[in-house]
Amino acid sequence: MKIRGEYRPVARADFAVARILAATAAEEVLYAELLAAIGDSLDWDFGAWWEISDDAASLRCIETWRSGLLQDGDFETLTRQTTLATGIGLPGRVWATERPAWIVDVTVDPNFPRGTGALLAGLHSGFAFPVQSARGAVGVIEMFATRMHEPDDELLQTMASLGSQLGQLIERRRAEREVRESNERRRAILDAALDCVITIDHLGCVVEFNPAAERTFGYRADEAIGREMAELIIPPALRVRHRDGFSRLLKTGQEHVIDKRLELMGMRSDGSEFPVELTITRIDLPGPPMFTGYLRDITERKRAEVELRASRARIVDAADEARRRLEHDLHDGAQTRLANLGILLRLARGKLEPSGEAGALLDEAIDDLAETTRELRELARGIHPAILTQGGLDPALRALAARSRVRARLGAVPQRRMPQRVEATVYFVVAEALTNVTRYAEAERVEIDIEDGPKHVRVVIRDDGRGGADPAGGSGLRGLADRVAALEGSFEVTSPPGEGTTLHAVIPCA
Amino acid sequence: MRLLLVDDDANFRRLARRLLEADGYDVVGSARDATEGLRLAGELAPDVMLVDVNLPDASGFELAARLGREHPGTTVLLTSTYSRGDFEQLARSAGADGFVPKDELSGAELDRRIT
Repeated sequence: MKIRGEYRPVARADFAVARILAATAAEEVLYAELLAAIGDSLDWDFGAWWEISDDAASLRCIETWRSGLLQDGDFETLTRQTTLATGIGLPGRVWATERPAWIVDVTVDPNFPRGTGALLAGLHSGFAFPVQSARGAVGVIEMFATRMHEPDDELLQTMASLGSQLGQLIERRRAEREVRESNERRRAILDAALDCVITIDHLGCVVEFNPAAERTFGYRADEAIGREMAELIIPPALRVRHRDGFSRLLKTGQEHVIDKRLELMGMRSDGSEFPVELTITRIDLPGPPMFTGYLRDITERKRAEVELRASRARIVDAADEARRRLEHDLHDGAQTRLANLGILLRLARGKLEPSGEAGALLDEAIDDLAETTRELRELARGIHPAILTQGGLDPALRALAARSRVRARLGAVPQRRMPQRVEATVYFVVAEALTNVTRYAEAERVEIDIEDGPKHVRVVIRDDGRGGADPAGGSGLRGLADRVAALEGSFEVTSPPGEGTTLHAVIPCA
Repeated sequence: MRLLLVDDDANFRRLARRLLEADGYDVVGSARDATEGLRLAGELAPDVMLVDVNLPDASGFELAARLGREHPGTTVLLTSTYSRGDFEQLARSAGADGFVPKDELSGAELDRRIT
């Protein structure tokens, strides 16, 4: 490209570069076009663009140009393969000083590593100038001619000025590229995200609606953008509350919903509602506030949670049923047989003399049998208390309290029968708590209160022992907590050292 | 003292009869379930009935409650392999006159329970 007319070469170069800068040449051809514009305008023969490496350790050639007169491509290849440190060669010198430089004959210059290559290519004079941005030199442009040229200060000054313009252009292009790449990365992330990403402005209108949101809510992004989010994806029953909360957030800046994980209901384009998990973040940019919501359809998770709870409850029921059956089998089998055997032995004993060896042996057998019967009865009660099945919570808990080695006060106990799983859970909570009090608490007394409500039974057990119980420890509390949780109840142990232990269980019974 | 046994375990009925008769009780009959027990209670008018807690057609508590209403003069004692500590109060609250564990069964034990 050559500007023809009566202008001098320096002015032509200035015009040519200005034209390229005014046009929006693609980045991949920009450097080559600029080198060609300068070289052609000045009627020089070879040009190269050097870029300073990211670590500011070296210069590397990123583009070259040669005129039609320069047939030899070896110097071009050599230049492209050369890396220069600061102060080395013509470009290194310019980089070091950040000032243009001129060499009348590079083939004899002592600081020109490519001198032999230049000689073979027939190149002699050379000049270079820095490409300057606001943060200093970002590159160097060099030009060579086959003829000898004496230094031209005007040309160098013009080139230095061009170097500043080019530096600004390159910086701007680089910034634009970074923004473009950043946007592309962000877009790619949003497009690939499994979560719905919805951004709204200060009016509550959608400004961003990613593909996951499109799939989940059934709107295309172009349908959603610009519409009020509330009318789009929030069920009608919740909209007033949402708008009030959003308005309050804008007015007061109170951000109790920001950056928290919330669970609420969303609405699809067909009006169907489903549970979503939502996190809202405020976009920290100047201007009116914007908010981005990250939403996830948790229908499956909720369903799985319901099934998990049901499954846990079934496991508890099955375990209780197995215990009841085992206790029943013991009662109807071994315990009944032992009771009959006891009667038989006592009948036999009645046939013998009060004194005598056979009678003594039989007495011993009767005593052993009585002990075995007692042990078996304790075992059966531990497996599942028949008194609970037969009489319900009141007699079962009173029997527990009566057997407690630590003095126990039992308050009023619900007289009504409850579901077996509820009665069993209350019973085992009290039984395990009393065992713990006896074994670990060093308590003098323990109080057991059962509050019967329409939907829950509340069990509170307090002792005056040493405290410091660890609910996660191996004291059986963990198992109780799991059992209560399986019925969707709550279980809490408060046990400050030296202040006793309070166990608090709430068990749904509706 | 005329006594009626109600228990679904034939072995227990046989052995308890022998034991209590040896201790001086007049075992006038035995029944295998609540229905038969109630019928024999009417027919035999025993002084004492020894009733198992677990019967095939009703619980011993239910039978005790009904006997209390229909035969208030009869002493009703419940029995089982369960422990006295657990069941004594429950038996009394159901209307029985007491609870005798099977492994402690004897004429003397019954004597102490009969008012």
